Amino acid sequence: MTLLLLLLLQSPHARLEGRVPAAALPPLDSLIGQAVAESLPTEPLVQKALEGGAKGIPVPRLVNGVRHGLVQLRDARAIVSRATPARASLDGDVAAVAAALARGLDPGLIERLLSADSEPPGPVLHAAADLVAHRFPADSAADLLRTAQQQGLHGTRLLDVAVAASHELQREGGRTPTEALARVRAMLPNIPVATPPHPRTVTRRAGRGS
Amino acid sequence: MTAIDPRVQEALDGERDPTTLPAELREAYARLTAAATLLRDPPATSVADRVMAQIRREAPATRPPRRSNWLLRPVTFRLRPVWTLAVAAAVAAVVFLPFRESAIPGAEEGVAQFVGHFPGARSVEVVGSFNDWQRGALALRDEDHDGIWHGAVVLPAGQHEYMFVVDGERWVADPLAGRYVDDGFGAGQQNSLLIVRP
Repeated sequence: MTLLLLLLLQSPHARLEGRVPAAALPPLDSLIGQAVAESLPTEPLVQKALEGGAKGIPVPRLVNGVRHGLVQLRDARAIVSRATPARASLDGDVAAVAAALARGLDPGLIERLLSADSEPPGPVLHAAADLVAHRFPADSAADLLRTAQQQGLHGTRLLDVAVAASHELQREGGRTPTEALARVRAMLPNIPVATPPHPRTVTRRAGRGS
Repeated sequence: MTAIDPRVQEALDGERDPTTLPAELREAYARLTAAATLLRDPPATSVADRVMAQIRREAPATRPPRRSNWLLRPVTFRLRPVWTLAVAAAVAAVVFLPFRESAIPGAEEGVAQFVGHFPGARSVEVVGSFNDWQRGALALRDEDHDGIWHGAVVLPAGQHEYMFVVDGERWVADPLAGRYVDDGFGAGQQNSLLIVRP
């Protein structure tokens, strides 16, 4: 078992070596090892460690940051398991829920959004977090997104719903959040699509450095 | 190694008449002389030439070669190891380099644009989860020196956290990101959050 753990740890360890202070490596290996042992995704933890190393975060805070990430992954898996008991929790779903927790979404709201839809939860959780960040009431935001899903909007189109709501909020005349949400609900499913940057503007393709 | 009898050696060196050698040494002298003659006169053709000649002779007769057949004919390149390495490096650079000029997004990718107003900055780069938080991977440009730094890249669809690094030392959240998330290191610093659509 220990040997297996060591083998699984080899890759994250190699990615972190030289990118984080040497003193941080043993505790980081241990935290990532715990994630492996609990079948949690390790990539968010590796990314957090690389981020801390790049920013020059002192070792104790760096390790605490990664430890906090592990706790969030555990919480996220528990939420996914409760919301979708019939299916095995996927790494992507757990990571998306952990990201939503990091953005401050209420666990109960996340669970509600997950149980209402079988799609990958990333977009709907981000849309909800966007609405909450713009001070829309969380329950009303979740209701709006649920209605949008029922009317055929899925995936990243749900982000357009959040954008439309924030635009309504900023219109001249000053709408309240409730009024803005009502306006968007009335527009469904005809929500404007966000215009992506034109590919011609692209100068580079970005990828992992290592 | 067997030592040559000094008398045979003298005969080989021309210092003694071979006929004066005892019978048992004369035979050894004859063998050594024959070997020396063989070595002095190499065969008219090399082993390789003779093998190739045999192969050519045994090749089955085929249609006369056509001029267009050169497309199908195998070609052998001979490269010094140093050139082999150079060619391998060039191929790897084309295939594996993380950044490609004028990249077109694939089905599971999208375009991300970065713009920041940093008047007086000497350099601005974007560092984030999409490049393993590696410094020096994505530099923004300000060709007209108006303090507006920009760049656009193709990224995998999904969520990416990032920050600007100004002048190689100052970490700044993107004021235009619209989405932020606490970086979790306890100092209240926020990462910018980017959601790339396919």
